[in-house]
Amino acid sequence: MDVSDSVLDHLRHVAALPDLSGTRYELESEIGRGGMGVVYAARDRQLDRRVALKVMDLALAGEAQLIARLEHPAIVPVYETGILPDGRAFYAMKLVAGARLDYYLESAPSLGERLRITRRIGEALAFAHARGVIHRDLKPQNVMVGEFGEVYVMDWGVEAVAGTPAFRAPEARLDQRSDIYALGALLRFMLPASPPPALRAIADKAMHADPSARYPDALALLADIERFQDGLAVEAWSEPLWHRLRRFASRNAVLLWLLAAYAGVKFLLFFLRNL
Amino acid sequence: MRLDPDTTMGGPQGQFPSTQLSLLEAASAGATLPNEALERVSALYWKPVYRFIRVKFRKNNEDAKDLTQSFFATALQRDLFARFDPAKASFRTYLRMAVERFAANEHAARNRQKRGGDVEFEPVGEQAALSESPDDIFEREWRRQLFALALDDLRAHCDACGKQLQFEIFEAYDLAGGDRPSYADLSARHSIAETSVTNYLAWARRMLRQFVTERLRGVTAGERDLRDELRRLWM
Amino acid sequence: MNKILAGLLFGLVLGAIDGATAWFYPETHSVIGGILVGSSIKGMLVGLFCGWFARKVQSTKWGVLLGAGLGLLFAFLVAAMQHEHYLAIMLPGFITGAIIGFLTQRTGMPSLAAKRQA
Repeated sequence: MDVSDSVLDHLRHVAALPDLSGTRYELESEIGRGGMGVVYAARDRQLDRRVALKVMDLALAGEAQLIARLEHPAIVPVYETGILPDGRAFYAMKLVAGARLDYYLESAPSLGERLRITRRIGEALAFAHARGVIHRDLKPQNVMVGEFGEVYVMDWGVEAVAGTPAFRAPEARLDQRSDIYALGALLRFMLPASPPPALRAIADKAMHADPSARYPDALALLADIERFQDGLAVEAWSEPLWHRLRRFASRNAVLLWLLAAYAGVKFLLFFLRNL
Repeated sequence: MRLDPDTTMGGPQGQFPSTQLSLLEAASAGATLPNEALERVSALYWKPVYRFIRVKFRKNNEDAKDLTQSFFATALQRDLFARFDPAKASFRTYLRMAVERFAANEHAARNRQKRGGDVEFEPVGEQAALSESPDDIFEREWRRQLFALALDDLRAHCDACGKQLQFEIFEAYDLAGGDRPSYADLSARHSIAETSVTNYLAWARRMLRQFVTERLRGVTAGERDLRDELRRLWM
Repeated sequence: MNKILAGLLFGLVLGAIDGATAWFYPETHSVIGGILVGSSIKGMLVGLFCGWFARKVQSTKWGVLLGAGLGLLFAFLVAAMQHEHYLAIMLPGFITGAIIGFLTQRTGMPSLAAKRQA
């Protein structure tokens, strides 16, 4: 049987599609390919809503079970898991309506918004780490910003297949600290062109070549960012004196203005009196 | 190869047990592959190798056939497989490189016998004129042959299980060269419900997928190679 | 620390300092003691009210306004007793009151929380 080019491509396409007979889902379209498998948009016939279906080889389904059990606002909730007639495993999960982080950044959000997103990602990371789950492939392509501003971190637990080297820690064995590295790289990615040196320093500390020199956990990194936002000194950056004074002045601006007003009034009265 | 007939349309029982050994398993006895494994490799790789030699080394039909035949007869017999390192490349890539070496050696040997060094072919430089690189052609022909063999398997399976109708529907739709008929057309033509058309196609595609996987299993080094090739294969 | 107590303390210290600045006016040197006492008491009164207010209401803005208002009022009363130096007493008194109001709002809370509520 001779197979023409067009037939060959067609067969490659249709044989790859998941056979959803026996499930309550109706295939709609392919959304993307992650390290673990392919993600499709599908319709849940019973609940009449759209879902995302992740289809993967059974062998890779093991760790996915662990992740499916995580419940966190920044981790996509899993509705159902099962095995397809063709032997592959599938996960039905929430179909996130929104934009991937790298596209979202094109709309030039404010620094506060960028840091808010970073915080959400860090919180998800801390949550997962506390339950023994490591992401291993954290990068902007794996973060979605939903239509209501909610943040989702996706594609957990799969070591980068053809990894984006910029976000991958240098060490061979990936663990929680490698995720911290990736979080730092993500922060740096999100910072605007000329970022505040304190934030740059936070990112650099997280991305230190030596894992033990990085932040011990995601919460420590977030705490440093919070200190920056409150005008406090940041652990990662030893600031020059003039910057420290500027910070002090901005945090105590009201008091300093009042004192200045007092002094000003006093001087004014004194000199007016002597005129 | 007797396959269990597929009795259920849905459910994991649709999968049949694998009877194929991977190349690593087949070669476990020694450094050379047993004949059965060699046959499997030839069945799949003959056409792709032939086309590859024709395009890359600019051989005519006869010379290309000779070289291909020669490659399979001699090169594979010689500890070719023993030098294969699954960690470095897929078996497909390894075989292609082996063909290149073989053809280059043949050419060098022939040139030594000639006088004047009239170059018969240029392994490099001419490829700019082609739209596809010889490597891509090799992969595409390999895929083509893989599916062709799997389709033969599917047809044989359908004949054996009395599922000729399913195959006809599948052939009419998925193997259609030009315009595809609509589900409604097929439903009318064969006097079956449209949902049956959907179900038959889903079944046939599922079976095809399994046949492709089985064929692939017999010509890949092991699980890792198989999985990587499968990932490349499916669009 | 108790806000009322803080208010009294701030009021005492700032009132005393405010009173002490009268030293720059040589004619007051004879009565500087009385000025100091009076200013301190004035400050403590302002601090008392501001401290009490700060316990009820957490708002830097209103704390400052209250302090400023009270500072102005008490300064006016003092100036009225002397029928002179109205501006010289009331203006600094106004600002001193504002500072007392501000400080009573800010005491006892971590500075971040205070900043967020400002």
